[in-house]
Amino acid sequence: MPTITWFEIAEVPPGPIIFLQSEQQMSYVLMKTLESSPSRYDRGINLITLGRMSEVYDRLASHIKNGWNVIDIGCGTGAMALRAARHGARVVGIDVNPQMLEIASKRLQEMRLSGSVELREQGVAELSSEPTAQYDAATCSLVFSELTEDERVYTLLELRRLLKPGGLLLIASETIPSRFFRRLLYWLVRIPLVMLTYVLTQTSTSAVKNLPAMVGEAGFIVEEIRYSWLGDLTELVCRNPKSREKKR
Amino acid sequence: MSQVVYLLASIIETLLRLFPFPTKTGLIRIGNPDRTSPVLLTCNYHLTVLRVKRELKGMNAYLLIANSRGINVWCSATGGLLTNHDVISVLKTSGIEKLVDHRSVILPQLAATGIELRTILNKAGWRATFGPVYIKDIRAFLRLGKKSQRMSEVQFDIVQRLEMAAAWAFPMSVVSVPIMLPLWPQMLLPLILLIWGLSLLIFVSFPLYSRWLSPKGRRVGFILFDFRAGGYPLVLWGLFLAGLAAYFLLSGEPDWGLFLRWGIISLFILLLLSMDLMGSTPIYKSSLHEDRLFSVALDQHRCRGAGFCQDVCPRGCFKVDRSRHTATIQRVQSCVQCGACIVQCPFDALSFRSADGKVILPETIRKYKLNLMGKRVSEPC
Repeated sequence: MPTITWFEIAEVPPGPIIFLQSEQQMSYVLMKTLESSPSRYDRGINLITLGRMSEVYDRLASHIKNGWNVIDIGCGTGAMALRAARHGARVVGIDVNPQMLEIASKRLQEMRLSGSVELREQGVAELSSEPTAQYDAATCSLVFSELTEDERVYTLLELRRLLKPGGLLLIASETIPSRFFRRLLYWLVRIPLVMLTYVLTQTSTSAVKNLPAMVGEAGFIVEEIRYSWLGDLTELVCRNPKSREKKR
Repeated sequence: MSQVVYLLASIIETLLRLFPFPTKTGLIRIGNPDRTSPVLLTCNYHLTVLRVKRELKGMNAYLLIANSRGINVWCSATGGLLTNHDVISVLKTSGIEKLVDHRSVILPQLAATGIELRTILNKAGWRATFGPVYIKDIRAFLRLGKKSQRMSEVQFDIVQRLEMAAAWAFPMSVVSVPIMLPLWPQMLLPLILLIWGLSLLIFVSFPLYSRWLSPKGRRVGFILFDFRAGGYPLVLWGLFLAGLAAYFLLSGEPDWGLFLRWGIISLFILLLLSMDLMGSTPIYKSSLHEDRLFSVALDQHRCRGAGFCQDVCPRGCFKVDRSRHTATIQRVQSCVQCGACIVQCPFDALSFRSADGKVILPETIRKYKLNLMGKRVSEPC
C-alpha cells in the first residue's frame, strides 16, 4: 500500500480509515459539456476519465448487498443506479435533469432493470416528505461538485436522516487535491479545461475541498478513502453511526 | 471601499457581459430583518447581486441567492439553468425557514420563463409571487402590494444600450489583438476604434431603425440577418472583396498580403454587423432561437381570465377582462416569444404556434428549456 504523505491529518474525521490510491483521473469539469447533450454523457465521461469511471462505479457498487433499499442522489443517466440494481437492491434514483432521467429510463428498460429502479425528477431539498431511516445505502457519484455549499451540508444531514443506523454512504466526487504540487498540477490541467467548458456551455463544476472532513462533520464515520493519483477524484465509504457511536 | 468594488465590478462585468460571473449562493440579511420581514430571491450573477443589495439598502429584508450558474435571471430561467429545483433548494437549504414565520417569497418577474409558482407551493410549501422586472421598483411594489403595468415591462433605454455596445466591442477588440499584431500592427488601434465606434453607433441609433428588424430573418452559420431582406451584408462583403481584388489586379503589381489584411479587417466589420443584434436586446427574440418563428396562441375555450399571463408578460401584450373572465393578446407584434405566459397559465390556454401549423405545447415548454444554440432539446439526440 502506498504511503499517503500528502493527506493532512487535521482533516481526518474520527473513525477507522483505510487509505487507498487508485489510478489517475482527469478533470471532471468537462462533464458539463457532456451534460448539455445527455445522450453523449456516458460515452464522454468514460473517455475523459480514460475508462476509469466505470471502475469507480463498480468498486462503490460492490458494497451494496442483495435486498437493500438504496437511494442514488443525482443518478444522471443511471450508471450507479443500474449497478446497485444488479447487486439486487431496490433503488430510488433522483436527479434534477429530466433529459438525463429519460436516458436513464431507456437504459434501464433495455437492461430489464426498470422493475427495481424508481426514477424521480427531484432535488435533495425535495426529500423532506420521505420517512426517516428507510435506506440501507445512499450513493452520490459526481454530484457534490454540482451542489452549492449549503446544499452539500443539507444533503449530508438529510442522508443521515434517511439512512438506517449503520447504513452506508458511498461517494465519488471531484475534489481539489490537498497537496501543494499536485494542486498546482491540477490547476494547470483544470484551468484550460474550465475555460473550454465555459465557452462551450457557460457553466462549470466546483470541486470539493476537504471532502472527508465535510462528511465527518455531518456525523458520518468515514471508513475508507481512495484518492486518484492527482487527488482530483475521491471515493469515500462512510457509515451512518448507530446511536451509541454518535458521540465519537 | 464598497463603492470602488461596485464600480470595478460594473466595468469588468459589463465589458465581459457575455460570460457568467457566479457568486456565493444562500442567504443574505439586508438591514435588521425580523420574523415578518419580506423574503426576496434573485440569481447568483455577481453584478445582479451587487445591484440588488445596493437598491435594498435601508430596508429590512432577507435576500436569497439561488444557483443560476452565474447567469442573469432571464437567460438562466429561459435556458433551464435556474429551475424550480434551484428555488426550492435555496428555500430549504439556506436556513430561511428557521428565520421567518411566513412562507412568502418574491421572485424576479423575468424568472417566470422557468419557475412555476404551483410547483414551489406544492413541493416547498412557499407561496411565491413575481415581483417587478427591475429591482429599482421593489419598494413601490412592496408598498402597493402589486405591480403597475410599467413595473412589469422590460425597457431598452440608452444606458442599457451603451452597456450592450461595450459588451460587443470589448470581446471583439480582444480577439482582434492576436490576429492584428503579427499581421498589421499599425492598423490595430484604428480597427479597435472602428469596432467601438460601430458598436456605439449600432446601439445609440437603435430606435431609428429598430422597426425594420424582423424575427423572420435568416441565419447562415453565425451570420445573422436581422433585417427581413436578409443576405445583403454578405453580398456587400463579397462586392468589397471583389472590388479590392480588381483594384490590385489592375494596379499591375498585386500585393496579396495587403489584400489579406483588408479582407480580415472587413471580416471583423461583417461579423460586427451580423452579430446577434435582436438577441442583444430585451425587446426582441434572438435570431439564434428557434422559438422566434412561433407566436403565442390563446385558446379562448380554456382561458378563464386568471391573469397570470398579464402578470408575467415583460412586453405588456395581454389584456385581461376580469369581469368577463377572458384574456386577449393585444400587442402581438411586441411579443418576444419568451414563453413566460405559456409556462405560467394554470389552464394551459396558451401555446406556441408557427405559421406552418407546428405547435409547442405548454408541457414541453415547461420541461425543456432552450440550450445555448437556441434549441429546445426535447428528443435525446
